Parts: sequence; C-alpha cells; structure tokens
Amino acid sequence: MECQSSLNDPTTLVVADTSVAINLNATGFVASILEALPNRIAVVEAVALELENGRRRGRDGADALNTLVAAGRIDIVRLGNPGIECFTSLVSGSAAETLDDGEAATIAYALEHEATALIDERKANRICAERYGALATGCTIDILAHDGVGAALGHSRLADAVFNALHRGRMRVQTCHMDWVVNLIGNERAAQCVSLPAAVRTR
Amino acid sequence: MAREEPNTQDVGNRLRIAREATGITQADAAAGIDVARTTLLAIEKGQRRIRPEELQRLARLYATSVNALLRRESVYVDLVPRFRKLGTSTNVAEDAAARLLANLVRAEVELENVLGIKRARSYPPERPIMPGDVRAQAENDATELRHWLGLGQAPVRDLVSLLELDLGVRVYVRSIDPRISGLFAYDEDLGACMLLNANHPRERRAQSGGHELGHLISTRRSAEILHTDKEENSREERYANAFGRAFLTPTRTVMQRFREITAGASHLTRRHVILLAHAFGVSREAMVRRVEELDLTKRGTWDWFVANGGITDTQARQVLGDLTPLEMGKQDADRPTTLRLNLLAAEAWRQGLLSEGQLARILHLDRLDLREILDNVEIEGGEADGMPKLPE
Repeated sequence: MECQSSLNDPTTLVVADTSVAINLNATGFVASILEALPNRIAVVEAVALELENGRRRGRDGADALNTLVAAGRIDIVRLGNPGIECFTSLVSGSAAETLDDGEAATIAYALEHEATALIDERKANRICAERYGALATGCTIDILAHDGVGAALGHSRLADAVFNALHRGRMRVQTCHMDWVVNLIGNERAAQCVSLPAAVRTR
Repeated sequence: MAREEPNTQDVGNRLRIAREATGITQADAAAGIDVARTTLLAIEKGQRRIRPEELQRLARLYATSVNALLRRESVYVDLVPRFRKLGTSTNVAEDAAARLLANLVRAEVELENVLGIKRARSYPPERPIMPGDVRAQAENDATELRHWLGLGQAPVRDLVSLLELDLGVRVYVRSIDPRISGLFAYDEDLGACMLLNANHPRERRAQSGGHELGHLISTRRSAEILHTDKEENSREERYANAFGRAFLTPTRTVMQRFREITAGASHLTRRHVILLAHAFGVSREAMVRRVEELDLTKRGTWDWFVANGGITDTQARQVLGDLTPLEMGKQDADRPTTLRLNLLAAEAWRQGLLSEGQLARILHLDRLDLREILDNVEIEGGEADGMPKLPE
C-alpha cells in the first residue's frame, strides 16, 4: 500500500520535535534514514535539552543526536525574536491550549523559517491546525515513508525500522498511516506493538 | 481563542517557589540570567516583568519548563521549603522525600484541575493541643474521631484507605529512605497530604499513618517529618504518638481482645502477642507497648521479649498461617508515579488536554516512560474493544 510522504520538497527545512527524535532513534537506522533524506533536519535547543535529560534514565537519545550533529546530519537551532514571541504565546495560558517547551519551540521555529514542523502529537497538531493553518506539518511516518528512505533501506530493513520505532520507541501512528504501517510490518509484528490501537493489534 | 497571560506577580511568585524548591540562591539565579540580585528580587516580587529569554534560562536552571511556569493550572506551593524549615535542611534523604511528596501532590492536583475533578474533603474538626495531660487529650480526640467516622470500637483494617476515602487525605505509599517513616503537610489549596514509607512493613506504616493523622487533628498547619528514631521531645509529638495508638488500638477493644485471647493463660506468650497485633493491624512491639500502657501486662514486657530472642516473622507466620497479611503494592511503590496518577494522565492525554511533553514534565518522567504508562492504561483500545461506557 502506498503512503504519500508530505516531505515532497527537498529544499524545505524540517524541524523535528522530541517525539520524532525518539522514534527515529528507536528505529536503529537513524543515520541511514537521515542520509537518505534530501531535506535539512533541525531540532530546537529545548528538544536537545529534553533528550539530554533522558540520560538520567539511561536513554541514548542525546548521544545519538550529538553523533548526528557532529556528522552534519542535524542542526541544533535557536529561536530568533519572532520565534520567541510565537513560542511565548504557545506556552502561556490554560493547560489545554498550551504546549511544553520542545513542542512549542519546534512549531515556533518552523513558522519563523517557513519550515515543516514534524510532531507526532495529536494536541500539538490540533493547535497547529487551529492557529497556524498555513504551517506545513508532518510526523515520523512522513520521514519513514519518504521514497528516498524506502529506496535506501529496502523493504525488509524499512519494515524493521518501523517495527523498532513502534516496539522500542512506542511510536504513535495517525489513523491515516495505519494501513501503510501494518501492511509493511505484517499483522504478526503489529500484534506485538502495544502503542498501536487494540483493534489494529488483533486484526 | 483568547489566551490568558499570567500576571507578573503570579509569574514572580512561581519563579520564587521554583527557585526555593531547587535550593538555588537568589545570587546564583541572578548570575544565571546576568542580572543583579536586586533585579531578580524585583522579578520575584512582580515589580519587574521578566523577559522571555530570561524566563527560558531560569526555567532551565530550575529544571522546569517555561510552560510549567506560565501554564494557568500549574500548581506552585512551597511544600519543600516548609519541610526544610524544620531545621534539618542538610539531610539529603529528607529533601528527596519532601520533593517526592511535593511532586506527587502537585501532579495529582494539576491533573485533577485540568480534568475538572473536585476531590472531596471531609476533614475532621481541628483539636488544638490544650494545657494539661496531652496523652489524655489524644485518647479523647481519637475516640471522638472514631465516633465521627462511625467506627465505634472496631479495629481499623486499612488505615490508608480510611484516610483517602473517608477523610479525603492525599496519601502516597512510596519507597523512601528507611530512616523516615512518613511526611505530613497541609495546604489550603492542596489539602492534607501524607507520604508513608513503602519500605516499612504494613503494620509499621499504619502506625506512621496514625501518627500523621494525629498531626492532622492537632497541628495540621505545620509540616512534619516522622523519623524512625524520633524521640517524644515535644508535646506535639507526644500527642501524635498517643493519638495514633489510641486510634489504632482503642482502649476498650484492646482490653476486650486481650481478655479473649489470653483467657485461661497464666503468661503472656508470643502467640498471644502475634494474634493481638494481627487483630489490630499494628506491629508486635506497638501492641505490647500498648498493653503495657493499659496496665494489662507489667512495664518492660516488650524489653523482656527482645532480650529473649524477640518475636520473629517466622513465628508470626507459623501462628497466622494463611492469615498472614500480604504486602501488596510493593512493586508499585517503587515506580515514580502512582496508579491514580497514571489513570489521570492517560485520561488527560486521551481527551487531548495535555500533550505528551506536558505530561512527561508534570509526572517527572521521560517520554518513553510516559508512553509505557499510556500504553498500559490501554486508552486507545478502550472504545475499540467495546468496553462498557460509564454514566455521564
């Protein structure tokens, strides 16, 4: 089954949130995936800090990020003044209408630089749709389903990468991508992924 | 949609509480954002609006987020400094326990607020300590509370549930330093909160809970840390200990049970003590000291048992057999959150009220730990599985 990645312009800067960074790291193929992706990838400082805090729990997300930064695959970026204004509006107010720093800064930076914000988070996507209708958004699957990534990894390794993201990273999958994911990894492996809805696991 | 900006004074107050909770001085915080200490003071007093970049740097310094500082429902209460003011601020174990209690309470209250849940409180009236015999007052107040709760003279089988369900106290049973039995704090916004040590046996926890209940009755506005070796060096402590004993082992019932269990015997045996302690859900030592206090056996009886090999858990198991109380929830107590917090978090996430990042921050978890919790609650599978719906 085909899954059209929203990353169809190779010149677009892609800004990934913590959720996406964790999922990509969990694939076990993050370096190959980013190498195959023509777009520049960035994470904001708040995301890098959140991954850094994961060290206390023995997570290797910060090490993976540092390796990718050193290899020139990812940039760690800082908000400019217009971005800070947008960031502040996304973090202040009622809980239901605000986001945590990493999520907010990712959106703010994408707006500031006309980039695509990658966030695997329903609430963040809802807020983006309500407030910033023109902002291009996507999720981890948009990277994994990219033609370049599929060609570089091949079907079998791509299926392993998606399964690992689900199994190790407990990746969330939007309904529109569910069939592509299950067709790729198969029902047997889908049944092992508790982050997938029960109805999908018991197909 | 109009968004409410928190006012400068609120932000300043939250910054002060966040700084004090992390133990960072004003001078260090000021240096962290390259301002004079007087400027930081003005920010904390709400006299000078903090700039966005300063806020980001302070949030990082205080190990929190800008969102946690500016979110309307965030709970900022200075519980940790209150415990520090007890005079043992250098004690790392106490500080860790105080932080744990503060984090659990703040998370629970914020999640309740976000979900619109109002926790029922049914605190008994305060009974300030009066001049005179403090133990007699504690006995009297414990009896009064028993009647108020409709307990009569019956043993309390599960004090934690009674505190939570009948009184509305927030009780957390978590693994903390073995030298600490429990913590108690009261705040108008948060209510009464207790942290009991899951590393202690259930009977010991009941006694700690009884002691802290005494503080709720008599001195609820003072935070308290109960140590395992705490001496009764104040009237407040004598009251709390006596209250706990009287509440868990009420005089008339102890006398009655003692007579039943020792009927026909010429000596107080280990078997008697094990059965009595089991009947009241308290430790064997607490039981013997109580019957000493009530002159049902001579003073020094417990010391005699200790000098003669004590009363062991093995002996208790031999006497009680299948009646041996199970130590439930030990594994759960080692986790960073509670089952209730997990359910509240999952519900807030399911309703799209809080994002993954916000929840991880509120619960002091990393994203993968949070995802595991959300998966375990099976929120996404609920409706698809056709589970029964609850009434609105």
